[in-house]
Amino acid sequence: MSVYMQGIVALMGVNILMALSVYAMITTDQVSLGNAGFMAIGAYASAYLTVKVGMPILPALLSGAFLSFIIGIGVGIPALRLEGLYLVMATFGFGEVVRTFFLNFEPTGGAYGFRGPMGTTLLLIYGWVFSMVLLFWLLSHSRMGRSLDAVRDDPEVASSIGLNVTLLKLGTFGLGAFIAGAAGGLYAHYMFYIESNNFNILVSSMAILYVILGGMYTFWGAILGAVIFSILPELLRFMADWRLSFYGAILVVMIILRPYGIITRPMVKWVENWIGGLFTRTGP
Amino acid sequence: MFLQQLINGLTLGSTYSLLAIGFTLVLGLLQMLNIAHGDVFMIGAFLGLTFSLLGMPLYLALILAMIGAGLLAVIIERLCFRPLRKAHFLMPLLSTIAFGILLQNVATQMWGSEPSRYPQTMEIAQFHLGSVQISSIDIIILVVSLGFMIGIDLFVRKTRFGRAMRATSEKPQTASILGVDVNMVIIVTFFASGALAGIAGVLTALVYLQITPFIGIRQGLIGMVAMVIGGVGSLRGAMIGGLMIGIIEIMNDAYFTASYRDIILFGLFFVFIVFKPEGLFGAKER
Repeated sequence: MSVYMQGIVALMGVNILMALSVYAMITTDQVSLGNAGFMAIGAYASAYLTVKVGMPILPALLSGAFLSFIIGIGVGIPALRLEGLYLVMATFGFGEVVRTFFLNFEPTGGAYGFRGPMGTTLLLIYGWVFSMVLLFWLLSHSRMGRSLDAVRDDPEVASSIGLNVTLLKLGTFGLGAFIAGAAGGLYAHYMFYIESNNFNILVSSMAILYVILGGMYTFWGAILGAVIFSILPELLRFMADWRLSFYGAILVVMIILRPYGIITRPMVKWVENWIGGLFTRTGP
Repeated sequence: MFLQQLINGLTLGSTYSLLAIGFTLVLGLLQMLNIAHGDVFMIGAFLGLTFSLLGMPLYLALILAMIGAGLLAVIIERLCFRPLRKAHFLMPLLSTIAFGILLQNVATQMWGSEPSRYPQTMEIAQFHLGSVQISSIDIIILVVSLGFMIGIDLFVRKTRFGRAMRATSEKPQTASILGVDVNMVIIVTFFASGALAGIAGVLTALVYLQITPFIGIRQGLIGMVAMVIGGVGSLRGAMIGGLMIGIIEIMNDAYFTASYRDIILFGLFFVFIVFKPEGLFGAKER
């Protein structure tokens, strides 16, 4: 595989993780426009650990993701009070606080950025992606997954049948922060260099976009969205300077045409039934 | 010294107020955020620059930039909001983010990504009032933006059309039954929000003298912060929120470290949204 291709595939893996981090929160109807902030925390923390402390990459990634998880719980508790657009705006505010914090935080380079983290391989990225996909697959086929659906569809009914809505919401918010932190760590150790602007509002927006356009009711949608929107900008390279205009226009058109996403739950059901049908079909 | 900073803060803040009003008009009407609002501001600034380069006097450039930015906001409504009126509330948010990327790229192609110098089409006079120094540009900014703030406030509160706007934001369906042309209200609201952003763009460019296609990003976000602190859906709240943010920003730069400015502003924003989501002047329950 050429270096160019490797770069695309690696960033696609990071984007898939970012999409799954947004998806984790959306499973309980919490939309975050601040996941670039969690990504930054994971990126800077793990990079600091490998470069300045000399920790091996895997424990550093886990520590970064764990720190992001802790801060995610810290943000998630006040966020429980909010819903809809207000949660979107609050998480956006959080993301900007984190970004401007790292812009000024000298121990990790401040405005000059942080140089030196390395060691991410494609295998490592896709190991993380695979683990997370497995986690979501297990979740979607478990009692817990149905509980999350119930919380998303109607929190009041969910709590009246004895589900701990607060805990489920907080847990999924923390899980999202954890995944974003891991994505940030992988990203930092792939790029060798990070600066605060790598984690701006556009990154958070794109992560939501993957999920919404891919289809927000199944994690396959999040993955598909991340894959499509990681490849699309590369396919548009022939447009040279007008690439971003065209990209923006495609996004607007897609949002208008498929406001409920590309992959919907009935579609997943249909495919599963169809695959199941291949094995059980009898008669003519 | 303090008085001087206060005037600087009010000047800066009044441009934030204009942006915050645009946010609050749209949010109050549709319960949706127009993220491309900051980029309408940016296009307004570049339109002002282009008309000034053609040799037009400031007032003419200002009016034309205002109309251009207003029309752009109407286009955004048509493309990014109207097809999605019944969709999930995130969809228009995302479509306007995408449209913002498009506008930034178009501006880069048209005016370049390097900072463009704003031409001086008028003499700048400095006035001294005791220890306070105030330039004619400050006066223009304050007069124009305060004038438009009072104007929009009167328009919404006193005119027949303003009443239709308030009725629509209260209950669109009832307003429609009572004979309000809801689509017309929405179009006029977007035009007004874009026009105010366009004015803010030109006025800001007069101060900074250099503009890039990316100036709209931070300004738009700050406008949103001002709206929330003032109170979502409240016009006067947005005005006061903008002025407050301007004063906080200038005071922070004068007496504290400039680099912590945005941490303070966005931190304040987060605290307000979580603990006082109705803002200082918003009456509505969330």
